[in-house]
Amino acid sequence: MTTSTTFARQKSQEQAPLPPLGLSPYIGPWTIDHASHLLRRGMFGPNYEQIKWSTEVGLTATIQKLFEEIPLPAPPVNPAYNGDNQVDIGDTWINARYSQGSLVDEMEYRERSLYGWTFGRMLEEGISIRETLTLFWHNHFPIQAILDPKYVYRYSNLLRSHAWGNFRELTKEITVDPSMLIYLNGKQNSGEEPNENYARELLELFTIGKGPQIGPGDYTNYTEEDVKQFARVLSGWRDYGFTTHDSDGDFGAEFYPSRHDNGTKVLSDRFNNEEIPNMGDQEYKRLIDIIFDQSEVAKFICRKLYRWFVFHEISPETESDVIIPMATSLIANDYEIRPTLISLLSSEHFFDAKFQGVMIKNPLEFMMSIYKNFDISISNVLDEKYYSWYRLYGFTELMQMTYYSVPQVAGWSAYYRSPLFYRDWINASTLPLRMNFSDTMINEGIFPFQANGPKMKVDVLAFITTIDNPNNPNAVIEEFARILFPKPLSQAKRDYLKAVLIPGLPDFEWTAEYGSYAADPENSQLANAVRTKLRTLLKTMLKMSEFYLN
Amino acid sequence: MKRRHFLRTTGSAVSIPVLLNGLSLSALAKPSIFNAVNNDSDRVLVLIQLSGGNDGLNTVVPLDQYDNLQNARSNIILPESSILSLTDTVGLHPKMTGLKSLYDDGRLGIVQSVGYPNQNRSHFRSIEIWTSGSSTEEYLSTGWIGRALDKRYPGFPEGFPNSDHPDPFAISMGYSVSETCQGSAANYSMTLNDPFSLTTLAEGENDDTTSIYGQELAYLNATIAQTNAYADQILSSAESGNNLGNYPDTELGEQLRNVALLISGGLKTKVYTVTLGGFDTHANQVEGGNVTQGKHGELLETLSEAIHAFQEDLQQQGLEERVIGMTFSEFGRQIRSNGSHGTDHGAAAPLILFGSCVNPQILGDTPEIPNQVEVQDALPMQYDFRDIYGSILMDWFEMSVIDVKKILHDGVQYLPIVSACGSTVSGQNLQTEIPIEMHCYPNPFQRWTNIRFTCETEWVRLSIFDSLGSEVRILTNKQLYAGEHKVAFDASGLPPGNYFYRLQLGHRQKTKRMVKV
Repeated sequence: MTTSTTFARQKSQEQAPLPPLGLSPYIGPWTIDHASHLLRRGMFGPNYEQIKWSTEVGLTATIQKLFEEIPLPAPPVNPAYNGDNQVDIGDTWINARYSQGSLVDEMEYRERSLYGWTFGRMLEEGISIRETLTLFWHNHFPIQAILDPKYVYRYSNLLRSHAWGNFRELTKEITVDPSMLIYLNGKQNSGEEPNENYARELLELFTIGKGPQIGPGDYTNYTEEDVKQFARVLSGWRDYGFTTHDSDGDFGAEFYPSRHDNGTKVLSDRFNNEEIPNMGDQEYKRLIDIIFDQSEVAKFICRKLYRWFVFHEISPETESDVIIPMATSLIANDYEIRPTLISLLSSEHFFDAKFQGVMIKNPLEFMMSIYKNFDISISNVLDEKYYSWYRLYGFTELMQMTYYSVPQVAGWSAYYRSPLFYRDWINASTLPLRMNFSDTMINEGIFPFQANGPKMKVDVLAFITTIDNPNNPNAVIEEFARILFPKPLSQAKRDYLKAVLIPGLPDFEWTAEYGSYAADPENSQLANAVRTKLRTLLKTMLKMSEFYLN
Repeated sequence: MKRRHFLRTTGSAVSIPVLLNGLSLSALAKPSIFNAVNNDSDRVLVLIQLSGGNDGLNTVVPLDQYDNLQNARSNIILPESSILSLTDTVGLHPKMTGLKSLYDDGRLGIVQSVGYPNQNRSHFRSIEIWTSGSSTEEYLSTGWIGRALDKRYPGFPEGFPNSDHPDPFAISMGYSVSETCQGSAANYSMTLNDPFSLTTLAEGENDDTTSIYGQELAYLNATIAQTNAYADQILSSAESGNNLGNYPDTELGEQLRNVALLISGGLKTKVYTVTLGGFDTHANQVEGGNVTQGKHGELLETLSEAIHAFQEDLQQQGLEERVIGMTFSEFGRQIRSNGSHGTDHGAAAPLILFGSCVNPQILGDTPEIPNQVEVQDALPMQYDFRDIYGSILMDWFEMSVIDVKKILHDGVQYLPIVSACGSTVSGQNLQTEIPIEMHCYPNPFQRWTNIRFTCETEWVRLSIFDSLGSEVRILTNKQLYAGEHKVAFDASGLPPGNYFYRLQLGHRQKTKRMVKV
């Protein structure tokens, strides 16, 4: 048992950094296909204008824009609820205590405000990778069923503010984040009565990952005994201020020395038999530094980044040519995510044509691509805006991706569960929801939550004006496909779509019909004729499997 | 219904004389060596996944271990008087009155301490092991039901559905397909929520299947086409099906109601999967001060009431003999409770079978709880979960032993968990099992001890588990001649503490505790 352990460890330490074959920078021609691929993966559903912009400015400038330091968004506000005597309409509630009276109502409006606001961040992100990374971290460090929106906002902004920051620092912060202390029972973990839930997941799912089980309680990278020792180190932290009525409304995490295990903790040989003496409230940081000394941590997170941005399959070649160089880069950069992720997203490997369009959109990406590909407009009136955003949240919940409610500690199964991976989003229950949703958005549109405000819908006539050559039916189909699909369509499919647009008619009929409408756009009869044709075409296109791919 | 009571003999199994390749099969099974899952069979299996790791010791309580259990989990243990006793040694959580009444009617079976060697305490990995039916060391990307169906329907999904097989082979109630039903080329399960509201989806075509992009398109297109093709069948079964009896107003109740409806309507689906989540009870699994209430009790009540209603429905419709069901969970929980009125990830746990065709018995001994229980200690396994699967495949789906070995593992051991349904059982086929004689001396011991046992001429597997539930030594794994045997166990190199020796003889097994000092 001891022998095999030592062997496994030596092996992992001997892996010398290989020349970064797969991470060599992409130097080929920069086309609209490349721009589109980068933006589809780096943000939620780019629109045509953004794709064209990136095509023009090139790879480096697009990457710069994606990673541009931008201030944190203004916090969510009270959009309409007039019963909160701590928060006026239009003011933020993120640090406000609850009034004594109507806790449930106050929590409910604040929760809707937060959930809606979160969708607002994705809709209004511009060209930035930050919201995508925030979701990546939410999948990596998940929470579920945290009832106080103040806690959840704090958690969300922690992820957002570390989006491409330092992974080690984020891990330290999340370890004592109030929501996480509740979700993985850190608050119940004391010296006398250990609760090992967080300790186990910290190792298995958040940092070093579980290697093959090579003996009883021995998972190569750590042992059951380590889990126990980790729990001891992490003991003593509790959240405070949950749904507080206290006058200062303060909440956060606090260290209780009396609940902490003051003994010396001894880790296994996987962590060099490190001994951790009592260090009180600093002890967890020491522990996390010790974990991050293991290069396995860098490989673990790089594989997750790869699955999120490139493809789920990590072949031995990908492991050696991409993952290992990424991990080396990450360690060289002291666990700063930004430089390593930039190398990946600028690499030859990332732009390999075989990875274009191979990820099935998750429900958020699906919704966002409809809203953003078509620039669906949303009311600017405060309450109507929040209710519009909140309505989107409800749809993604049906489609099995609920923000702030990750189903497993391991994240959404699409990002870890073999063999289905992204295919997990698609089945006989979720497909009809997606198809009905896109039909509805093209046809009548949807109201904001509780019908507060005007309907949100695709304006097909506005959409067609964004393309270069609306008069030519072949160009219409080609440009629409370019916006909506990750790859060009085959000739057979283009023919099919033209038959949907102008069944059995020669091309010039479209040119003529569209031409008369364009010359007289106020003429409702002409407008209706073109609108009906375009709706039929776009409904068909949004139900094509190509639209589900990114 | 009480007619089946005579079958029940506490703590011992029912022995069956038919032998095939060293494996005995129940009187019911008509093993069709050359066929995989019998296609003409109208038998249905319902799998209920208790997601999160069910606390088996708070579900099926070992009454004869109550004092030691109380030492180890004083803040959560149920009052002895509240437990619904099934036998002198085994009782159910007080919220499970529905299951208690099924047991009394001979429609419920329990298998004690089901797990696998070297229990992995990760949810993620352990679910994978349970759904794929792999060993701890193996990584399989298919599920055990998926592999069983692959045997019978090679090539799926190409060419399915067709006129011979118009119905989905498996249905997962809810929004995600079941990993258990993952076949080598596709998943056999179709997701289903409301059988009455299935819409026809727009189907696409595909002209590129070589690139990854083309393969993803093909997958999407095939899912759309199959959804459409199966939708009509489901709707017509739902329309001609029936429900009798009162289901609880819970999601699980609603899902099982739909399962019964589709079975009653003639849908030929062989496997249904449903999931009940929330069993990861690290904290507040009971209410402080009122231990019969709380999260865990509510979940067990949900489970018990839904299964009870489902069985009543099937019985009233005369469908009982077509359906068996089984619960499973990725692991049990540790013996000691934690200070948060909860329990942490453990190892083996009891598994519940229901239906009038399951052996209405408690298979296996109550798990032995030591008087000193350390943090992290959990139950060693008595039964390997793959043997439960294998026995179901053999007896219920009439698969050959050879196929079952290929699907699960070579050492698959037959367990009498499925019986002849109801009245067709004739008493002379059944005899009371000879109890296993085994003991070790010295015990407690310092460095080594001898384990003695008596066996017939049969395959013998003797192994040692530590207090975490991991199999740390395999002492014997071969054919032995009839008689008394002595096997020495050298425990040098192992830390002092509680250990368990598990002896497996043919389809019988026993696990006992020993202490290294």
